[in-house]
Amino acid sequence: MDNDDPLDFEIEDPLLEKPAVSKRRRKVVELDDLLKEHYKEQSKLIEKEAKKKTKAQKIYDSDDEKHDKEAKLSSLLDDCQNQIKEISSEEEIPEWGLCVFGQQKTAPCLSFPELGSWSILQSFMNNELNSLLVLTTDQDCSFLEGLLINGWLLKLIFKCGHVEKSIATWTFFSMLYSSKEELRSSACEFWCSILSSKTQDKPIEIDWYPSYSELKSALEIYGFLFEFSSDTSVDNSSVHEEPPQNIITWIKFAAIYCQVRCKQSVLSTSDRQELVAIIICLFLDRRLQGLSVLLSNCMQSVLSSLTEEEWINSYPGIAKSLALRVPMDLNCLRAVQCIVGVDPRSKLLRSAVAFRILVKCFDNKVSDEEGILSSLIGINVKEKTCDFFKLYLYLVLTDNWLRYDPITRDKPVIHEMWGLLLRNCSYQIPSTDLRSNASKVRNKAAFLLQGIGNN
Amino acid sequence: MEKRKNINGRSNRRVKINRGGMEANTLAILDSDEFHKDSQESKDDRLDFLEAVRTASIVPEDGPAPTEKMVEAVFQILRQGKSVELVMSSYELLNEIQKRFPRVRISESSDNGSHELVVVNEAWLPFMVSSDVMSNEREGKYSSDLFDINGFHEFIQGLAELAYKSSSERQDIESLRNMLLFQYLVNVLGGDFKPRVNVYKETMNWNLLRECILNILLSSRRVNYKVLMKDCLSTICGLSQYHAGIVDGSDCSETSMEKSSEDHNTDVAVALIEVQKTTCRAMENLMIMIMEFDVFKKQAEMKNQTSRADGVRTPLAEIILDELTYDRDLLHPFLQGFSDPKWKFEIIVQYFLKYTAKPSTRTRSSNGPPEDSPFIGVLKSFSNSTTTRNIIKKMDADIVQLLLSHAFQAYLSMSSQQHLPGMSDCKDDVIDGSDVELSQKIIAAFNGLRSVDE
Repeated sequence: MDNDDPLDFEIEDPLLEKPAVSKRRRKVVELDDLLKEHYKEQSKLIEKEAKKKTKAQKIYDSDDEKHDKEAKLSSLLDDCQNQIKEISSEEEIPEWGLCVFGQQKTAPCLSFPELGSWSILQSFMNNELNSLLVLTTDQDCSFLEGLLINGWLLKLIFKCGHVEKSIATWTFFSMLYSSKEELRSSACEFWCSILSSKTQDKPIEIDWYPSYSELKSALEIYGFLFEFSSDTSVDNSSVHEEPPQNIITWIKFAAIYCQVRCKQSVLSTSDRQELVAIIICLFLDRRLQGLSVLLSNCMQSVLSSLTEEEWINSYPGIAKSLALRVPMDLNCLRAVQCIVGVDPRSKLLRSAVAFRILVKCFDNKVSDEEGILSSLIGINVKEKTCDFFKLYLYLVLTDNWLRYDPITRDKPVIHEMWGLLLRNCSYQIPSTDLRSNASKVRNKAAFLLQGIGNN
Repeated sequence: MEKRKNINGRSNRRVKINRGGMEANTLAILDSDEFHKDSQESKDDRLDFLEAVRTASIVPEDGPAPTEKMVEAVFQILRQGKSVELVMSSYELLNEIQKRFPRVRISESSDNGSHELVVVNEAWLPFMVSSDVMSNEREGKYSSDLFDINGFHEFIQGLAELAYKSSSERQDIESLRNMLLFQYLVNVLGGDFKPRVNVYKETMNWNLLRECILNILLSSRRVNYKVLMKDCLSTICGLSQYHAGIVDGSDCSETSMEKSSEDHNTDVAVALIEVQKTTCRAMENLMIMIMEFDVFKKQAEMKNQTSRADGVRTPLAEIILDELTYDRDLLHPFLQGFSDPKWKFEIIVQYFLKYTAKPSTRTRSSNGPPEDSPFIGVLKSFSNSTTTRNIIKKMDADIVQLLLSHAFQAYLSMSSQQHLPGMSDCKDDVIDGSDVELSQKIIAAFNGLRSVDE
């Protein structure tokens, strides 16, 4: 007979509902488990006592008294439950996730009176064919919207090979600020098509290009937080607004736009650097997780748009600015891991970001490779106050730093020190260590050690 | 021409050992998972596992291919994933694996520079292909989750149902997961089909194409092929309907977002906005592959390369035409959802020919001058008010206009890509000339329609 099971009549009693204790089995019994056990026992004792009393009450207590005691009991139970919840939430490491969008601002007005002056529209209205459609200048905006959504506008532009300013601004602002999904995505497709025609033999002449500040101010209007602190976690998402859907077309447009290299060079190197940092920040919002394919494409596109010289001068700056912005919890690992690390540039960036975050972990006091590693080796895992969660972050960061930068990794000294650090964590933490996250560190180190051994 | 390769055969011993060790190391991360599938801890383990597979196989320039068991485990994570994070990461990883370690690829023969097909038969597949005895015999505990043709059909039926739900009804992780899973499956089918087509075009070896997974699946007698094709059509129509906002009204996506914020699954809602479109494209790709296969099969038949074993299937293009004729409500969503200009043009012209068919039989392969093309013939029939009246009696003037404008747009897309059938080697100015000519004929047709309609 299992003592934990409630007795028959308890099931019927809503007041005696058992606290929701998570039943999952752990690989090792941790201190918190013991505490939990303790509270569970306590609450059971109270329950049993209460049971005895209620049994007795059934015979002679007045109803009033009974209710009074029930209330007392239920408040006691509530306390127990809360305490257990607290304990379990303390032990859980919060997931990564920041709210990178705050209060939205009002979007600019989307009225474009100058659209009527579009030369093709003018010439059409003077054509006898207008007797079919009977267009007048008043209604042209909705007519043009139809042309855009059904793809005809693009066909016309490709035929005449020229985008006038009125059409360019109207489509750009519709893409970023329209509330109609259809219009947004058609406008985005329009821009992507005319921009990619630049790389073909018959490039389209475009009279107006949006500047970087226009792209950036769109983000401001969406409520993007260019600076965020660690307290903007998902928990208080009630104060933050939904990320606007327009961010999707923004990301798609940015991916194509950074590829444009023309005389009016629209994005400067520092704009592109900032763009990479912004994309990584967008990766940190859980609500945008579904856009990870788009975000990765965009990041790859920006990285590849830099010339070799620009790239060499850019990536340390990108890494530094990210290290400053990212909070030191699981978010910093997410910021590193969202960089795909498949091609040489993203590999280098991933390594650099991981390294800069490590440097920041030590308050920028050490910034050379060996110094970082020896500080890590200096962490005594046997010390009672050892923060295993931090150590876990360090291990993953160091792994990313070295794995994606083979030149550093293959330096004999570095290789040696990294091996030592992993052996420390793997061998000096016993499998019976009950401190929170100790087993996490140990397993990670053991896994990484196997990887080193294979090479 | 076809070379079958064994991964282990060509690899040296060390790599083999590494793959074994890699499998053991990475799968060990999942080991503790069995009993607590929904706990945070098991979710973390799965993410760690995905990252470990990626680091082992994708990140190094010459990393070993993940073993069958590893890919299968990634696939299981996608099939069972309950969070956007797991679903997205496993989906992306599967595609990366598919791209990096394709099961079928083309290698250049060293002797004469010709290309040959290399098939890695041991590579993992999400499909159970009946002719492949190995996969039937495999007794992996997950094998029931692989797709055989019935499973694939059921899955597409589910997708078709999903496509007709209102956007607020489908805002759950399951919809997202199934749409991504479908895209991955189409990706696998394409990765198998496209290299085969390229080598087939060079060598005309029908066996290469006959053995594509798509054909093996569709040739199965255990499935009602026509119903499956109709389900594909209905999915693409349903998904495009969403896009056009017909189901939920024009501001559907905004309201759905508000609704979702109450349920705290904004991440799913945001993901679906994009994934619905890519799913529609994936379905289009699947249909194009089937239609292309039909064309190649016909070619092979004419060359007597096929045998009775190849079976008989109604070409998908004919099924689509029949369905669109039978149910005209499908026309608009289909034309919205299906964007490939070549096939769109072809289908519309064939659709018109059903109603304007003339005694003189014109086949697609006739190499007459451009004026002789069937579409010009269709347009000419609107120049005469009697024939126009006859056509309008059979199909609405609205539908004629819709079809004409979509055909014209498809024509322009093709002429800008210079893919016009029979005109591929024309010079730019000739095409421009015929564009103007065609535009005038379209205008004439619209004028003709209007005068009769009034």
